[in-house]
Amino acid sequence: MQMFTSVIVLGIFFVIFIINDINSYKKRKVNSVIGLAKVISTNSASTINFQDNESARNILSEVLSIAPDIGHAVIFDTSGKVFAAYEKRGADNLIIPADLNKKKSLYTDKKLFVSNDIIYNNEPLGKVVLEVELSELNEIKDFENKLAVTLLLVGLGFSFLLAIIIQTYISKRLLRLVDVMKEVSETGNYDRSIADEGKDEISTLTRVFNNLMQQVSENQRRKDEFIGIASHELKTPLTSIKGYLELMKQIEDREPNKHFTQKASESVGKLEKLINDLLDVSKIQSGQLELNKQEFDIDGLLNETIYSFQMISNSHQIVLGNGSIHANVMADKQRIEQVLFNLFSNAVKYSPGEKKVIVASTKTDGELVIKIRDFGIGVLKEEQLNIFERFYRSKDTSVHISGFGLGLYICMDIIKRHGGKIWVETEKKGSSFYFSLPLIN
Amino acid sequence: MKKILVLDDDADILILMRMTLQMHDFAVEAISRWQDIDDSISKFNPDLIILDVSLNGADGRDICKKIKLSEKTGHIPVILFSANAEMGNNIKEVKAEAFIAKPYQLSNLLQTIRTHLN
Repeated sequence: MQMFTSVIVLGIFFVIFIINDINSYKKRKVNSVIGLAKVISTNSASTINFQDNESARNILSEVLSIAPDIGHAVIFDTSGKVFAAYEKRGADNLIIPADLNKKKSLYTDKKLFVSNDIIYNNEPLGKVVLEVELSELNEIKDFENKLAVTLLLVGLGFSFLLAIIIQTYISKRLLRLVDVMKEVSETGNYDRSIADEGKDEISTLTRVFNNLMQQVSENQRRKDEFIGIASHELKTPLTSIKGYLELMKQIEDREPNKHFTQKASESVGKLEKLINDLLDVSKIQSGQLELNKQEFDIDGLLNETIYSFQMISNSHQIVLGNGSIHANVMADKQRIEQVLFNLFSNAVKYSPGEKKVIVASTKTDGELVIKIRDFGIGVLKEEQLNIFERFYRSKDTSVHISGFGLGLYICMDIIKRHGGKIWVETEKKGSSFYFSLPLIN
Repeated sequence: MKKILVLDDDADILILMRMTLQMHDFAVEAISRWQDIDDSISKFNPDLIILDVSLNGADGRDICKKIKLSEKTGHIPVILFSANAEMGNNIKEVKAEAFIAKPYQLSNLLQTIRTHLN
């Protein structure tokens, strides 16, 4: 873009230069031709006095032999009649423009006309008209145009070359910076810095970036430390509460004690899930969620997860809609179980009053696709993407559902880290959540 | 009666574990100082050890490795115990038999203990 602008500016300068040069040439030409006309006027005054046409013609041809670009030279007497005329061989017919009476010189398309009065002892005797061919001017114009175009092209090529050199030097450093920025935003690894010892603006930018990274990295470290400590400190008393409640459940048979214990237990379960979700989100954001991949068979995991889910939640029946599909995946078993658990509990949570959730697994094009279908309130079309965002809660306020809005965000991250996809489709009644995982061949 | 040694520096958890395991017919020695573990092992001679990972001034995984590498104690199954669930990912490196995340599910705890006692 900048190069384009500079070429245009250069072009404008050339045009101005050429116009200026041509104008000054024209002025010089007029002056020299007027000079010539004056010489002819002075020399031919006596010939008019003596009515000596012959001598007048001689004067014309003599003077004009030193000015080869003059096509016609005519001496008129006071009555306007031609007194003597000279015509260069091969010259066009002479047509004197009418405007010449008023002016001393006149440019037409291809010619210059100059007129000069012949005065002797303050008495006008006639006038000299010279017609000059402008072939020289055209040659100059031609030459200058060619020169301008050549220079412009050379300049263009040169600036292009220069731009490439500068760009490779500057862009290389900028692109490196961009690459690192991209990497940081993708991986969340802020422990990155770029070496740049220079003193120009890019080095300043790099230094600012490095400082920023350091600060973010330090903040990240503190946040991780805080979350680590906080979760440990939260989980330790929670372990105690949960442990005692579980003991209580085993020994207490009387109502309402048993019921109260059960209720307290359920709340502890929710609290535990919340703490784990917050920890997971923190890990996702700091790029510390690591997968512990192993090869396993999906049929087994589905059955186990459905079984253990039904142990803690039996309001709905989770039905496996198909038989074994014998699909092996390389994945973090616990994390995939977590995804299934999350999707099951969402399906149950968002279909109050219903009885069934259907799970189906299929193999297609090297992928395993799992579908969890509920018959609940469904997902609004415009919310189908938002629900995977962190802390996103449905705008549908017709039902109040508790939760933090972290489950699907965590599911999406886990599935993405496995190279799979997660999405939702709205059904006539309820919705279907899908996720895919690459299969082992 | 099978004997279980529990090391955890949190007093509440220690009392809870002792009570829980005794209620399920295990003999329990519960200690809070990691420095005492060698003594306790030789005196109590446990059939299984439950070891907290985040100890005050020590890493339970290092202690586990030491126990497993020793000729005298290497045969005793060790279950690591931590609030950080990710610690369970590389228990094989320190030769532990199993991992239980805090807060634990009682049924899961008992099942894991029984699996490794036999």
